Amino acid sequence: MAHIEFKNLRKEYGSTVAVKELNLEIDDGEFLVLVGPSGCGKTTTLRMIAGFEDPTIGEILMDGKVINELEPRDRNIGMVFQSHALFPHKTIYDNIEFGLRMKKIPDDERRLIVREVAEMVHITPLLDKRPGQLSGGESQRVALARTLVTKPSTFLLDEPLSSLDAKLRRELRAEVDRLHTKLKTTFVYVTHDQEEAMTLADRIVVMNNGEIEQQGTPMDIYSNPKSYFVADFFGSPSMNLINGEIIEKNNKLAFKNNQLKVQIPDHFSNQISGKVTLGIRPEHVRITPNGGEIKDIIDLVEPMGKDTLLYFKAEAERPFIVIIEGLETNDFKSGQSVGLDFPDDKVFLFNEQGQRL
Amino acid sequence: MNLNKKNKKYIFEGFRYSTLTIWLVIVGFPLFWIIGTSFKPDAEWFAWPPVYWSETPTLSNYANVWMGKEELTVTQYAQSMQKPWKALGNSTFVALVSTSLSVFFGAILAYGVSRYQVLTEARMFQLLMLRMVPPIVIVAPLSLHYSTLNLLDTHLGLILVYFLTTLPYAVWMTKSFIDEIPMEIEQAAEILGATKWRTIWEVVLPLARSGLVATFLFILILTWSEYLLALLLSKTEVVTLPVELSKYEGSTEGRVYGRQAALSVGITIPLIIIGIFIRKHLARGFSFGMVRR
Repeated sequence: MAHIEFKNLRKEYGSTVAVKELNLEIDDGEFLVLVGPSGCGKTTTLRMIAGFEDPTIGEILMDGKVINELEPRDRNIGMVFQSHALFPHKTIYDNIEFGLRMKKIPDDERRLIVREVAEMVHITPLLDKRPGQLSGGESQRVALARTLVTKPSTFLLDEPLSSLDAKLRRELRAEVDRLHTKLKTTFVYVTHDQEEAMTLADRIVVMNNGEIEQQGTPMDIYSNPKSYFVADFFGSPSMNLINGEIIEKNNKLAFKNNQLKVQIPDHFSNQISGKVTLGIRPEHVRITPNGGEIKDIIDLVEPMGKDTLLYFKAEAERPFIVIIEGLETNDFKSGQSVGLDFPDDKVFLFNEQGQRL
Repeated sequence: MNLNKKNKKYIFEGFRYSTLTIWLVIVGFPLFWIIGTSFKPDAEWFAWPPVYWSETPTLSNYANVWMGKEELTVTQYAQSMQKPWKALGNSTFVALVSTSLSVFFGAILAYGVSRYQVLTEARMFQLLMLRMVPPIVIVAPLSLHYSTLNLLDTHLGLILVYFLTTLPYAVWMTKSFIDEIPMEIEQAAEILGATKWRTIWEVVLPLARSGLVATFLFILILTWSEYLLALLLSKTEVVTLPVELSKYEGSTEGRVYGRQAALSVGITIPLIIIGIFIRKHLARGFSFGMVRR
């Protein structure tokens, strides 16, 4: 069990700043996900908790004690690496037993613990094999087991699933979730995959350019993004983001670009003006066969089974996408003209700096 | 001519095998000649037309060189020629100790370079450049200093000079093997509670073992067959096998080919035996960058 705190943490590599003044508290037993694009400083942050990188400035506290000077082995932390990092010359059994041996646990006790943990992550039949003989999913389970045996107060996971295929990733994601529920220890999980972040996290910390862009519960991040970056990063398909400008029409503000013109909902301030980006999630656009504020022609219909995606041509690099529930291929055809409505409370506006208005 | 795929393949294969055959002859003939000569009686050493394989093979060359049975008419050989076993002992001792030192310290330095950048790339290159200096250039000043330090004709003297001249190779070779070991594997061991030394012992060394063995053998061969430094830094006590071998080409005695050949075979055999014992490591060690992860 561990409570972790960063105080003004900063990490520089020569002239590049990887992490800028990070202040963050991780609660005991929390599942915290650090998410962001590559190079945003999330892995550096994780490696500073582990002790593999020394902060340039700032302090890391664990249960109130500064641990900056502690060696990785003295931090009581477990880490699962992206490359799994199993010892290729040892059997799976020896791999898992390694941490117990280092902690000088007696022989018979070690045997019991290894068996128990192997059972827990379903790798008992693999114990006599070597890492080279395992599939990606199996070796990730072994990596988990190897970390589990030492009963660390905190688990650090560095993109543990990114080398696996989609199906295995989902399966192991559930496994990680189950482990956290069972162990109730602190998990710090780094990923660039927004879906992993959404499904696993108690709290998501979105990082960008070495800074915290936004933090909150998955639902909060999804439905209340504070910036263009966060809005764009979360959701699949991504939020529709349309560039345009604010114009005044009959004393009311409206958003306009070459393709469309929509009223700005009343709850926005009257002070906004100039170039903005309008955002709306694909599932929030309402389609009305007749009427609607915007008229457009369906470019493509993509039935996904549970949902149907409607594509519209847009000036941006990405098409404008609308999700409708159900398999509605009979009602909508490509080339058909439909009306679109943006519900007032679902519309986001971002200024040129990417801040939410 | 319009070549189809199959004909092209035949031509390629033919070229490949003829090249390899020529290479084999170039490399193999001297070996064949030495082995053949070592079994020839005196009269056939210089025979013309040459005798490729003696009709009356004899073991007298071996007996003479290795057992000291002087039964031939040529009796005026210097006494120093009667001690190939001593030379073998010297060679073995000097080569094993200096190679071990070289690989041990080379590996430690290489680990530092690989993991902590204790030497910049320029320094690493300079290290190798040291080895480009022709040994003859350094041997004169060295023998001067050796004589004041009382290192001439001592085991320690030869060990030191071999250790230092082969160290650059050891650093370069072992570094490439240590680079191969992913940093994350070491970090995994550390965060599981292993100390640095424990990590090196349990993780780094086993993974670099094949490379270390290959480096060891490479340097052992270099040292084992080194002639110039051994000749000039030894007198009568620490004579090594290559130096001993050269004594069979005296200006007064002429060339004693058969004996020389018998001694040559004897020098080569230990290396072949070592090679056979560690060939599993050699195949992996000499295929730089092919370590399976």
